[in-house]
Amino acid sequence: MIVTKNWLNEFVNLEGISNETLYETFNSIGLEVDSIERYTIPKKVVVGKILSCEKHPDADKLNVCQIDVGDKTLQIVCGAANVVDAKFVAVATVGAVLPDNFIIKDAKLRGVESAGMVCASSELGLPDTGKGIMILDESIGTLEVGCELGSYDTITDTVIELELTANRGDCLSIHGVARDLSVALEREMKPFVYESTHKEKLGVARVADIQANGIIEADLSYVLTHIESLHTPLLLTLRLAMVNIALGDKLENILSYATHTTGVILRAYSATSLKDDDERIRLQVNAQERGIITISSQEKEISLLGVNQNQEKQAKDKDSLLLLEASYIHPDILVNAVFDGSYNKDELYYKTSRGSEPNIAFGLEFSTLLLEKYAKGKCYEGYLTVENEWEELRLGIDTDEISAIIGKEISKSTIITILTALGFGVTNAGGSKIVVIIPRFRHDITHIQDITEEIVRIVGINNIESKPLAFIESNKLNQTTSQYQFKKSLRQSACATGFYENVSYIFCERSKLEKYGFSTVNEKLDLTNPIAEDLNTLRSTIVLNLLDAIKRNVSYTQKSIALFEIGAVFNSFRVQTEKFAMVFSGQNELESISNSGKPNKIDFASFTKRVSMVIGEFELVACREVNDFIHPYQSADIIFNGKRCGYISKLHPTIQEQYNIPDTFFTEIDFDALLPKHINATPISKFQGVYKDLSLVIDESTPYSAISDAISSLDIELLSSYYPVDIYQDTQLGTQKSLTIRLFIQSISKTLEENDIESVTSLVLDKLNKTSGATLR
Amino acid sequence: MKILKKIQEASSLEELEGIRIKLFGKKGALAGEFAKLKDIPGPEKKAFAEGLNKKKAMLQNAVDEKYEFLKSQEIEAMLKKEAIDVSLYSSLGKKGALHPVMETMDKIIDYFVAMNFAVKDGPMVEDDFHNFEALNLPKSHPARDMQDTFYFNDGGLLRTHTSPVQIRTMLKTKPPIRIISPGSVFRRDYDLTHTPMFHQVEGLVVDESGTVSFANLKSILTDFLHYMFGDVEVRFRPSFFPFTEPSAEVDISCIFCAGDGCRVCSHTGWLEVLGCGIVDPNVFKAVGYDDVSGYAFGLGVERFAMLMHKVPDLRSLFEGDIRLLEQFR
Repeated sequence: MIVTKNWLNEFVNLEGISNETLYETFNSIGLEVDSIERYTIPKKVVVGKILSCEKHPDADKLNVCQIDVGDKTLQIVCGAANVVDAKFVAVATVGAVLPDNFIIKDAKLRGVESAGMVCASSELGLPDTGKGIMILDESIGTLEVGCELGSYDTITDTVIELELTANRGDCLSIHGVARDLSVALEREMKPFVYESTHKEKLGVARVADIQANGIIEADLSYVLTHIESLHTPLLLTLRLAMVNIALGDKLENILSYATHTTGVILRAYSATSLKDDDERIRLQVNAQERGIITISSQEKEISLLGVNQNQEKQAKDKDSLLLLEASYIHPDILVNAVFDGSYNKDELYYKTSRGSEPNIAFGLEFSTLLLEKYAKGKCYEGYLTVENEWEELRLGIDTDEISAIIGKEISKSTIITILTALGFGVTNAGGSKIVVIIPRFRHDITHIQDITEEIVRIVGINNIESKPLAFIESNKLNQTTSQYQFKKSLRQSACATGFYENVSYIFCERSKLEKYGFSTVNEKLDLTNPIAEDLNTLRSTIVLNLLDAIKRNVSYTQKSIALFEIGAVFNSFRVQTEKFAMVFSGQNELESISNSGKPNKIDFASFTKRVSMVIGEFELVACREVNDFIHPYQSADIIFNGKRCGYISKLHPTIQEQYNIPDTFFTEIDFDALLPKHINATPISKFQGVYKDLSLVIDESTPYSAISDAISSLDIELLSSYYPVDIYQDTQLGTQKSLTIRLFIQSISKTLEENDIESVTSLVLDKLNKTSGATLR
Repeated sequence: MKILKKIQEASSLEELEGIRIKLFGKKGALAGEFAKLKDIPGPEKKAFAEGLNKKKAMLQNAVDEKYEFLKSQEIEAMLKKEAIDVSLYSSLGKKGALHPVMETMDKIIDYFVAMNFAVKDGPMVEDDFHNFEALNLPKSHPARDMQDTFYFNDGGLLRTHTSPVQIRTMLKTKPPIRIISPGSVFRRDYDLTHTPMFHQVEGLVVDESGTVSFANLKSILTDFLHYMFGDVEVRFRPSFFPFTEPSAEVDISCIFCAGDGCRVCSHTGWLEVLGCGIVDPNVFKAVGYDDVSGYAFGLGVERFAMLMHKVPDLRSLFEGDIRLLEQFR
């Protein structure tokens, strides 16, 4: 909603109120100020009266004007075509400095002397009021030749853009904003008085009638008026331009102006086109389903109340008989009825859907007045009206309750004063109780907390002292909080290991997921209205997004890219789970003095080591996960705390090539599987342990996991731990390989003797010989 | 004394060891002197022995001193040999970094956990009731415009705020309630200042009727904003949200221009950072609560992160660009 100070001043006296005060007042009462800007007019731009206007002898498009600027008459050459219609204009005299530092000097235009410039509105820094120069008229104030244009308040107006909240339909007009402002500034509203000076003697009922069919939950009122020599004065066009309302036909401008001023929904029809064969206008107001109201004439719909109007019957500038309509419908009724329908909603719908001004007589009178002034309007006596009987909303309110909600004692009398000023009816009901009658223009108010909000905004939130809440302490450390804290420590570990945290959209491109063999959300459950093709479904993996990030980083010439992300993924049934994904691409580390400028590429061992530094130890087994990103010979499933919970792999070279990125490794793990488990300590042995290496010769196809499983199945008490330390292959070994495993042998209860060690190694050897044909090297 | 001079002139530990053996060894000079003792007659024996012991102690002392000196010289030489140009190794290891949005979220959560709030989360795929209806956003509400919400073919939707977590919590438990719900939310909007996914933290406090007031809300949020932004001015402006009444928007004095007016604050001197209010009775009605009072608030984490870390471009936060991320190490 855009208002101007001068316009507001028509309804509330703003004399002596600075722009700073206005800004603060608006903000404090909940009408947030988006911008506030005052127009200024350069010095030496004055009102000029055109005495004569003749064609330039040597240029078709130029006119030579003699212009009275008070103390002298200036000859000015003007290029605007509309100068011939002008009587009063804005003249920038020699020495004036217009916007963009345009200095007015004496000049010669095609040989003719020109001592100034006749200005268009935009040349003065004002909003554009239309083609050609700005023609002045008395709508901006009494025109005094030679007077500085900057002395007209109507021109050097302050434009204020307010960001209205959805509930404040009542402030979608100058009058409405002025009403709120008057309470905050404690200044009375200036009453609007309408006294017609120009009426037809004939009553409207002689030429037209209205008939209601069904229960009409709306108010409608019509006026029939003759108009002639329609024109829009400068003040109207200028103000409409200032508040950013698109200028249209003259009649359109007048109606826009009246609606913006009063907040009443106003429409005009070409009355002649509505006449029946007997020259009579017959309006039918019809209640349709769900509270929708249509108005028809000659069995043709001319308006869908509050939503649109039949373009064919809409009045145009050339019409001489107008049927002016003012209407009100409760926004709840309207919005509920039309929100899902395929109705054509015109620009007035925004106002009706948020609550237009219910005082339709005000709108009708205001627009009639404008037509009388600017189109020699002559109305038929009386109105054609359909009115609904509205039930007043009354609320019984305990003012102590208001104080409790606010947390500050607000006296009953203060509450009554504020509500009364805001237009509420208030009766004292004894004790702390009052009864409040809600005015119709505040359809948003339905309960005590709405009333409290009114009190809060007028009292001012800054006048409410902060008070810490006293509450009964209780343990709030729930499972989610602990999980969150674990997640944080996991993220910090990942950072400590050199990974950057990534955050990406949970959206993905369906065709990409399908192409690379990832699961996709069942189409029946998929997004109806995605924002873009490449974000048209929910992701089932984070890895795809991370690869995109790698690709971007490669294009920014990053050489070593390590990223992780914890985020949601969705399976084909759209069930949400959380994954922890890590990727590493390019060099294992940056070039430095420690690697003589030749760092290794990331490899399976280094990546796996980094992953386990973040999440802890895990076991790798043959990979069961299937998708196109997985390298068939450098991939594994991750067993963590005895559970299969994710996989780790080198990126498949084909995909690597498609993405045009260096060697890349990635892992994706169920986040829930990583949650810490409860740990009970086991006793620590006080006796010395012994390391024993076994170099085994086994078939080259035997994985370490087979060896490990076999040893593990022995369940030897003295074998505290074991792990592979070396793998060796040469031509002599043929299709076999040498694997060295290191055993750590220790007893919890005694010092080891030689035969204890011997028995462990021989148990292991025997077993491995049987399961894998292993022999000592 | 020739031998003393020899000790003092020893140039290496080996030489000194040689001298020491010659002096103190089993067949050394001192042993020879002591052997003479048995031939010394009684009365002179004592004086001779005392003289000899004194001499021995003096020599031992000289050897020890020299040893200490030579040893420290040797260590010094060894250390020198190990000298490196440490400045070459200034930043070999590269730590990663938390994402600025997530790090900001951590900081926010830390505050509210310290203020005895429980963390709650909920599903991203929501239904109409939890995301809108129960929050006093009837079907006809302008905020429910198709443009803003992501819908699914089966009528489900992506939550447009974390408020449905409040509804889920209230439906599951009874007051008193003191929770925050951090998480990703989704709006169908994509331009310079909007991304289809962003993060929110919302808070809800509910207790018996008449106990939770607007003044309480003002108190905690003012304190919170001081914790986040330091010494800033905090301003509450009345506003409107369907789920709270009275409602307010909260501004801080611009941290870029200290309130003088700049491009970031659109020359107003204020930055809007929070929305809050007293829970609307219609919300309580929707979850079947009677005789309660409560406040709620919500904030956009990206906005906080961008302000706190002066990140110029919202969309850059979702691109995994290491050049941005590495600044937060």
